[in-house]
Amino acid sequence: SLRRCLISVDMRLIEKSFHEIKRALQNKDTFQNVTILSTLQSLKTIKPIDVCCVTKNLLTFYKDRVFKDHQELSPQILRNISNIANSFLYMQRALQQCQGQRWCQCSQEAINATRIVHDNYNQLEVRSAALKSLGELDIFLAWIDKNHQETSA
Amino acid sequence: PAVPCVSDGLPKPTNITFLSINMKNVLQWNPPEDLHGAEVTYTVQYFIYGQKKWLSTSGCRNISRTYCDLSAETSDYEHQYYAKVKAIWETNCSKWAETGRFYPFSETQIGPPQVALTTGENSISIVLTAPEKWKRHPKDNPVSMQQIYSNLKYNVSVYNNKSKKMWSQCVTNNTVVLTWLEPNTLYCVHVESFVPGHPRLALPSQKQCVSTWEDQTSALK
Repeated sequence: SLRRCLISVDMRLIEKSFHEIKRALQNKDTFQNVTILSTLQSLKTIKPIDVCCVTKNLLTFYKDRVFKDHQELSPQILRNISNIANSFLYMQRALQQCQGQRWCQCSQEAINATRIVHDNYNQLEVRSAALKSLGELDIFLAWIDKNHQETSA
Repeated sequence: PAVPCVSDGLPKPTNITFLSINMKNVLQWNPPEDLHGAEVTYTVQYFIYGQKKWLSTSGCRNISRTYCDLSAETSDYEHQYYAKVKAIWETNCSKWAETGRFYPFSETQIGPPQVALTTGENSISIVLTAPEKWKRHPKDNPVSMQQIYSNLKYNVSVYNNKSKKMWSQCVTNNTVVLTWLEPNTLYCVHVESFVPGHPRLALPSQKQCVSTWEDQTSALK
């Protein structure tokens, strides 16, 4: 289960890093009526069997798009974002090492959920999209926390 | 219908925040500065992040108190919200004062558990009941905060009144038995609930004190 794979990941470190920059990031995001992840219906309905694939895809989304597209001047924010990025890298490796592809299959629903996130991202100017995605990390972390517990039950 | 007012005629309310405990989400603010004695009223609106428009709440329009219970409006704790309030006095009103993004799932404070103590000669058993989530109606079925946070834990603090020593232990199950205690000694206990992850303010339970039984061997003499 996801728990065995991510057991070595200290989520609290990631949540602490995010907590320190959350207000600054979210206050800079002025598009309150647009979300990237918060189309929660797509994340909420993810079945346990798809959790691994969606986790992997969203980690890739943050690593390959969000962290690259985001431009930041504040050293404090930069430091915390790089802590989070390193943790995500570690989580990706933990997922890859932990199971063969057999277990981390991607159903059509998982693919659709990931595509919705990318579609939402593409609808915004890239800097705004990256900023908004960073501000929504609490949604992703809460989802991991919730599914990290549930898949272990 | 709202009477039109001259915007920016008043300073904004200050320190607008959500006070959230067990998903009871109350918006609170301080009156605008330098308006002592004026009969100021307030109007509140809220916004569901990702939706399209600000929404009014009938219970918090032209109110004189400086808080507004938005628990019902923000009851889907997996969504995120904003709220704003403006001050009104006669025909003047302030600009809106707005909260940051509020996420009940990761920001609500977890209230203390119910704590039941029973004593033995050298032991105290503690039974903990997780706090309940806010309910829209008193008759609604209770939802335990443990159902929302399956990783809910407790921090049990114990104080030996004789030795003046205090120790704490983190537990996940709802029953704790303290053993190897001194007989005939008063122990005081308080407990905090917490969820690993986002830092949240802890709310300790009321301190409860019980005495272990007398040493049964000396009692027989």
